[in-house]
Amino acid sequence: MPRRLLLVLACFCAATLKAQNFDNIQIHGFATQGFLFSSNNNYLTMNSSTGSMQWTEGALNVTDSVTDKLRVGIQVHMYQMGEFGGPNLVVDWASGDYKFNDQIGVRAGKIKVRLGLFNDSQDVDSLFLWVLLPQSIYPDDNRDYDLAALGGEVYGDLRLGSRRGSLQYSGHVGNTTLDANGGYMRQLAQYGLVFPSPPSGSTSGGDLRWLTPLRGLTIGAGAANYALDGAAPAFNFHMPGSLNVVYYAQWDHGRWHLAGEYYRSPLRFVINTGDGASALINDFRCWYPMLSYSVTRKLQLGSYYSVMSNHAGDTSLPENYSKDWVLSSRYDFNPYFYGKIEGHFLHGTGAGYYNDTNLNGLKPNSTMLAARIGFSF
Amino acid sequence: MRKAICTTRAHILGLVILLGGFSAQAQDVVIVTNKGVLISHITPAELKDIFTGARTRFADGSRAIPVVLKGGPVHEVFLRNHLGDNPSEFRARWRKAVFTGEGSMLKECESEAALLSYVTNTPGAIGYLSRAVDGDVVRVITVSP
Repeated sequence: MPRRLLLVLACFCAATLKAQNFDNIQIHGFATQGFLFSSNNNYLTMNSSTGSMQWTEGALNVTDSVTDKLRVGIQVHMYQMGEFGGPNLVVDWASGDYKFNDQIGVRAGKIKVRLGLFNDSQDVDSLFLWVLLPQSIYPDDNRDYDLAALGGEVYGDLRLGSRRGSLQYSGHVGNTTLDANGGYMRQLAQYGLVFPSPPSGSTSGGDLRWLTPLRGLTIGAGAANYALDGAAPAFNFHMPGSLNVVYYAQWDHGRWHLAGEYYRSPLRFVINTGDGASALINDFRCWYPMLSYSVTRKLQLGSYYSVMSNHAGDTSLPENYSKDWVLSSRYDFNPYFYGKIEGHFLHGTGAGYYNDTNLNGLKPNSTMLAARIGFSF
Repeated sequence: MRKAICTTRAHILGLVILLGGFSAQAQDVVIVTNKGVLISHITPAELKDIFTGARTRFADGSRAIPVVLKGGPVHEVFLRNHLGDNPSEFRARWRKAVFTGEGSMLKECESEAALLSYVTNTPGAIGYLSRAVDGDVVRVITVSP
């Protein structure tokens, strides 16, 4: 069904391209290459303990403003991060967007999900100072599941008057599928749960942010409900609706940028086999504060402290938490090319590690150097 | 014919602007719109919203098409004084819209002459110049609360 919808959308895009001139068509893209080197443990399935460059990403998009209210577009994306992703292009988003006015618009197709500060843009490296966004809330190994949904969205911008700022809202409904080459599938496989096709399910949610009258200060909250179902010959997998919530704030003041988020994700999986049912319960609570400073127009420095803990287990055990202290820098060589380098001080093994790429066991602490260069146009 | 005359005048005015130079530290920019835009002033919030993509229409409901310079001191003064951004922040703001499917990149011009020509010939266009120009080809509007 999702493939059929994308095919219809692709035909629609092709028809509009053929029907009018090409003045409003835009093509943009980016490409990045990353590097990780860690003192202990292999991170995100890369051979980081010996130094690894198994991290390449790229995307290309085409958009066309058919009228001043209707816009269509598609973005294809590829990523290879250790054993995640692969060389194949996947549709990152493909949508038709009709904006009735500034207060309300609708978008349909495969859409990016706005949730918190960076969910919809977490795979666009050129936007950020950081090589890795706070992995407690934006885990790179699982991002494809959270990033986009096949469905529809309503969005808009409501002005509250010159002394009250404005509200930006969005709400979505749709369907999501686990990334066949992503982290969730790999984690399930470690429990012996191997599926002929990735589990999928419905999602719905929204995000509301207040651009306050205090210049540069934004406060917001969002929630998204996810359900999943999957089947294999020997078992069924079921995740009833799980409501994830996020609260956030950011403040841009001159050269300073301050941000923080708190995210809670209670997840309950039920696995039915011929012998009966068993449940797996998690309660992830994640947060970070981040601070950055633009030293010059080309150089930025920053730091964040990212924490994830699973309160369904003993949070004193390293496997139930992950804490990451990060120092980062970015240099823009010109408007198109940039480079980044950052240091990570990791404590706990609750995120980013996989047993089958750490066969000698995990050490509770590790330091890591991460670097990335990129090109965007 | 009228469009051709306007375009020629815009090119001449653009050349004058270019030769006149611009002191980035001392001046603010002049906000200009296409002659067909029927407003005489704009609030700082409206101007910021239009150039950040949050608003696509002027206060009278007509469509607003922002246009900027690719770089240079005039561009930087406009960003600093009216948006509170530096060029990197401004670029990131628009790239986010482009790569998340939420918007299209706004029009960029290599020079003030090209920007003036674009504003002159594009209904709804709004941009900025280093100094006031002949009101016959574009409309100069004030920024006030």
